[in-house]
Amino acid sequence: MKMPRNLALTGVLATSLVLTGCGGSGAENDEAAGADGATGEVTMWVYPILTDEAANKKFWADTVQKFKTSNPGIDVTVEVYPWAKRDEALAAAIASNTAPDVVYLVPDQVPVYARSLETIDSMASEDALNDTQDNAKAAATVDGKLVGMPLLTSVTTLVCDKRAFKKAGVSTYPTTWDEYLALGPTFKAQGIDLSLITADASGTLNVSYYPLLWQAGGDVLNDDKTAAAFNEAPGVEALDYFKKMYDGGFINKDYVIKAAPTEQTGVAKGTVACTWGVPTQDLVKLWGAENMEVLPPLNKAESVGYGTVGSLSMLKSTENKEAAMKWIEFATTPENSKPLLTAASFYSPRESAGSLYPAGSVDAALEKLVPEMTVGAVNDKSRAVMGVLTPEIQAAVIGKKTSQQALDDAAKAADALMK
Amino acid sequence: MSAHPALSEAPPRGEPSAVPRPDGPSPVRPRRLLSHRRREAYAGLLFVLPMALLFIIFRFGPSLAGLLLGFFDYYPGDTPEFVGVENFKRLAEDPNFWTALKVTLIFGFLSVPTGLAISTVMALLVRRGSRTVNFFRSVYFLPVITSLVVAAAVFGWFFSTGGPVSSVQSALGLGDASWLRSETLVILALVVVNVWTRYGYGMLILLARLQDQPRELEDAMRTDGASSMQRFRHLTLPHLRPALFFLAVIETTASFQIFDLVYLMTGGGPARASHTLVLDLYERGFRNLEFGMASAIGGVLFVLTLVVAGIQHFMLGRDRT
Repeated sequence: MKMPRNLALTGVLATSLVLTGCGGSGAENDEAAGADGATGEVTMWVYPILTDEAANKKFWADTVQKFKTSNPGIDVTVEVYPWAKRDEALAAAIASNTAPDVVYLVPDQVPVYARSLETIDSMASEDALNDTQDNAKAAATVDGKLVGMPLLTSVTTLVCDKRAFKKAGVSTYPTTWDEYLALGPTFKAQGIDLSLITADASGTLNVSYYPLLWQAGGDVLNDDKTAAAFNEAPGVEALDYFKKMYDGGFINKDYVIKAAPTEQTGVAKGTVACTWGVPTQDLVKLWGAENMEVLPPLNKAESVGYGTVGSLSMLKSTENKEAAMKWIEFATTPENSKPLLTAASFYSPRESAGSLYPAGSVDAALEKLVPEMTVGAVNDKSRAVMGVLTPEIQAAVIGKKTSQQALDDAAKAADALMK
Repeated sequence: MSAHPALSEAPPRGEPSAVPRPDGPSPVRPRRLLSHRRREAYAGLLFVLPMALLFIIFRFGPSLAGLLLGFFDYYPGDTPEFVGVENFKRLAEDPNFWTALKVTLIFGFLSVPTGLAISTVMALLVRRGSRTVNFFRSVYFLPVITSLVVAAAVFGWFFSTGGPVSSVQSALGLGDASWLRSETLVILALVVVNVWTRYGYGMLILLARLQDQPRELEDAMRTDGASSMQRFRHLTLPHLRPALFFLAVIETTASFQIFDLVYLMTGGGPARASHTLVLDLYERGFRNLEFGMASAIGGVLFVLTLVVAGIQHFMLGRDRT
């Protein structure tokens, strides 16, 4: 039995209890042909990749203008939406057939919306595909099909505050879990937290627990992505390590349950020694580049951190697919994306881009670590899995359950989701 | 108590009587009156129609569709597929759903009576108008118009480690742990904030009702030697009953739908100790894109609210004096 689509749409809106907001785009064919044949209107949704709103708008306006010069038959409209509630807006737009033609997605989102995304393997130029790093393409690939063209990559690694180390009288920076944890009491004695780490249910584990899990040699899902793997020995070890920081009083315990804006935390007050969960852009503003020590991700079984891959994906509902693809390729070339990447401290997923930053800068140090980054398990249930895992991590950390018990309970719920 | 017959039979000044009186002027014909009333009714309907249409289109229709969607498997953009009661069966087997239901009920049962009690006390305190009292009426109403985001941020600090509550606890030798990190106290913290943000509205409704209370009756009771508690119990409380019933229903509905405060202050933690039904609905709908399941939770919430409102009607609303 099938339900009328409009009724379903109305239901979605009711179910959301007026939590949603949405915008729309109209993709209609423009009869005025351009020099190369592709015509029409293309609407793209992006988010404040540059936190400076004016700079963000200017970048996209300039890029659209440049694109228009070589593609006079294609009209591109870039709509900048807030990060907050972006999924509500996009889901409601897809449901109501008002989705944009192109949208910026991060790895967690790609598999969730994969059913609504166009496969672009055969549409993208071979040059662009060959030039894009494999790990970046993997972040935009679902079931072997490329559904997004990588625009940027990031690095989440261990960054320490030189001033905190000086104050605590510590001169050697940690490289392993054991070395790092051993510094806890020294920093605590000076009123400095060893780290800022959270298991906030409304946040992501990509920059808190998952890096520990990967460093311990584990993964979120098993190899064929059919069941949870985080409850195996490396996952338990990672959670035990988290708990040791909590029990030792080496981290702010309140933030484990609910994160606060960075500017309200010890990071801003200079009372956090190191972090791997705060964007480096923010650290530059709060600490100053001269006070930042960029280190490789901590090592247990291996040294690995989370690096996001922001991609531009085309929606299946797009009418002007050729025009949309032209725009995606244009916007993701190193030449056109460089002003955005350098202003926001991101890195290019293109091999031809080379180094974007001057030697000796914080970004140059971070850029070198791109190969050590992973996006983790790209799966349509990865965010749902995170949803069942986070409360269990909290339960273990506050002592309600053992690490093994908490992870087993989460795995049971995750496996049910994967079916 | 019925009015004196002489009073009840006299028509209000300026209105014609439909009842022929032997000693009075000739009556207006009933037929004409009926047609007048019908015209008035039509006019009334016309005035109500736009709002009724908006209500049907934007409230009733989507709510009905939302309830129906609970019986379908639906991914945005796809055609919904009928799955019968499968979503409800999955919910029944999901311990996280039962946790959310328990948290919602506990929150509601703590929040509503506390809020009503505080609203009543505050309304009684500011019932007599004077310049000072008028000032306090405004002050007490301020939390209602305060941004919930601001309230959540302020109370988040209030209950955090090192905040005022934890400092007092620490001084009393009870440790300095944040209430928001405690599985037991987190609900109490949320109840405090919820009551703080809503008691002003209840106070306003009850204050309006109190203004209608005949002062002579209270004076008479006072003359007869009734204590203030007796006057409250036998006069004021029965008088407030309809307003209390109204508030109980409104506040119960609001407390069962609590979302923003929880999302902002605890995210449902620690370890699901404040994970409410609507937060569960939100996560299943917008994190997991399981709109059928999310709608099923909406359906459960609807039935739950209906049942509790029925119980409240039985307890408070039977005698609407």
